Amino acid sequence: MTVAAALALTTLPAWAQLKVGFNVPLTGFAAADGKSALEGAKLAVAQANAKGGVAGQKIELVVYDDQATPKEAVPSATKMVEKDKVVVAVSGSYSGSTRAAASIFQRGKIPYVVAYAIHPDITLAGDYMFRVSAMGEVQGRGGAKLVQNLGKKNVVIVTLKNDFGQALTAGFKDAAPKLGLNIVNEYEYVITDRQFGPLVSKIKYDNPDIIYASGYFFTAGPLVSQLRAAGVTAPIIGQEGYDSDKFIEIAGPASEGTYITTSLDRDSTAPATVAFLADYRKATNLGADMVAASSFTATSVAIEGLRKTGGKGGAALRDAIASGIYDMPIGKLEFNDLHEVKKDIQVQIVKDKAFRRHSVISDPVLLAPPTKAK
Amino acid sequence: MLAIELVAQGLIQGSIYALVALGLTLVYGLLRILHVAHAALFTLGGYIGVLVCNASGSLALSFLIAALVAGFGGVAMFRLAYQPLLSKPPYVALIASIGLFIASEEAFRIIFGAQGMSFTNPALQQQFVLGWGLQFKLAEILVMVSTASIIGVLAWLQARTRIGIACQATVSDPQMAQSFGISLLKVRDINFFVGSALAGFAGVWVALLNNLVEPTMGSVPSYKALAIIVLGGLSSVPGTLAAALLLGVIEAFGTIYLGDILDRNAIAFAFLIAVLMVRPQGLFARS
Repeated sequence: MTVAAALALTTLPAWAQLKVGFNVPLTGFAAADGKSALEGAKLAVAQANAKGGVAGQKIELVVYDDQATPKEAVPSATKMVEKDKVVVAVSGSYSGSTRAAASIFQRGKIPYVVAYAIHPDITLAGDYMFRVSAMGEVQGRGGAKLVQNLGKKNVVIVTLKNDFGQALTAGFKDAAPKLGLNIVNEYEYVITDRQFGPLVSKIKYDNPDIIYASGYFFTAGPLVSQLRAAGVTAPIIGQEGYDSDKFIEIAGPASEGTYITTSLDRDSTAPATVAFLADYRKATNLGADMVAASSFTATSVAIEGLRKTGGKGGAALRDAIASGIYDMPIGKLEFNDLHEVKKDIQVQIVKDKAFRRHSVISDPVLLAPPTKAK
Repeated sequence: MLAIELVAQGLIQGSIYALVALGLTLVYGLLRILHVAHAALFTLGGYIGVLVCNASGSLALSFLIAALVAGFGGVAMFRLAYQPLLSKPPYVALIASIGLFIASEEAFRIIFGAQGMSFTNPALQQQFVLGWGLQFKLAEILVMVSTASIIGVLAWLQARTRIGIACQATVSDPQMAQSFGISLLKVRDINFFVGSALAGFAGVWVALLNNLVEPTMGSVPSYKALAIIVLGGLSSVPGTLAAALLLGVIEAFGTIYLGDILDRNAIAFAFLIAVLMVRPQGLFARS
């Protein structure tokens, strides 16, 4: 587990290739998300190469397993900068490792496009950082808005104690008083927890109207099923971390009616989303999830930037990426001065063992991403 | 009533801890090895349980096969990894054990996939409403019942049968036991088999409670079971049992009332440190 496995996954180069770095957790606790992320990124590269690559050069994805930990992300990022000399890099990993890698790419003046890591510090690392997903705080505010939209008031918050969960909760709590919500109680759990018995018992006594619980499908699946098993019937709101068919498989019938705030609308009629969902299924024989869609998007954004600069990196590429408007499976994207995107939040609900569209939260003020000024 | 529910939840968790930690205690008592890789057999049991149940539809069969496979897996670990190292200082075996554990986590990931596995039709999910707002899943009730009965039977076997007494004799004085004609190898095999089968059995229970088995599901039990056997006074079976249940209950209350300061795993170790400051030999050491 301590060995950083560097895997060159594309075929051997016949001539000069444009190298796109990609850090992703392929082993360790986040390996399941890592697999989706890698498939998404590979699809983006394959599609670009099928169209002839960039400026006559093929794109090569240089993949490093960062195990979603900073201690693996730092050497991986350093190798990408020093040894592989990538022109651009993409994060298909979690916040902890992405934060650690960010400053290394910033120092190396290599644009770094982040797929789904949501910690605020990432884009604060500097002007070479880009993020294609809504920051944690913004998503948390969206969650509070959803509670209001559902006509509920008394909320219990269950927070996964890591960058992801804490950022979501911070956003939720920031918006809650403005929206007239009452936070009945708050609990935290660690990522290794799968047995939530005591927490569930306590929540039953809190008797909330609704539960806002952060987590990934492997924690949320057991949590949701244990809440239902104990007789808690309040609706549950999750986020991007729930966004995997595996969540529905683990929680089974208990998953029905669970809301999630995410960036992939599976019932979208937007051509970019429809095409991605179909292409992903064709390439992998699996249904796409948010991680796959975001990693595909981040990689495609990096490649579009390269196309504009004719394969050149550095400041030219940074400016090219920053000025683009992108039509992607997770929506139309445009970066602000902090290189965050402004976009709507998709609310999906589990219905008949699948994520379906529930609503879209579109509130330009509440969901405004942070800017340089703030 | 919340207090009763928390105690019950603590006992459910404690039962799982007890099943896993007992195997460790048996091994430590016999060989003085801290058998970290024991938790890999717990994971193995979980996977086998899900695979067998999904294929055959029989939960009873899946418990049986999971316990058998984990049991033989434990014997194989002993024969291949520990036995050749018995003449070396104990830390050599500990390092081997840690290596074995990490390798098996990755092996599970490669063989069974990173996503983990779930039951297609999870059994024992029926609800029992006991009044006063108490409500449990059948699986939660049965995990306590089965743990208590299995441990009861084992205690009886150990006290009343020839082989049980041979095991006890080997723990107290291996050389003397050997000179009375007890086969050390046989006793060690049996201990590894029984301890590992219990871990495999626990793995199936956890798979049922969470409807999820993952490559890394053994990582927390791997070290928490160590804390439990230290707490129980190393190599004391009743001590391990009591420590496991106590820790389960303390964690249940701790998660709710100390959750802001310490997470669940930190509570376990804070408790361990507190106990060792007062009773360095553990809570239930015989001497």
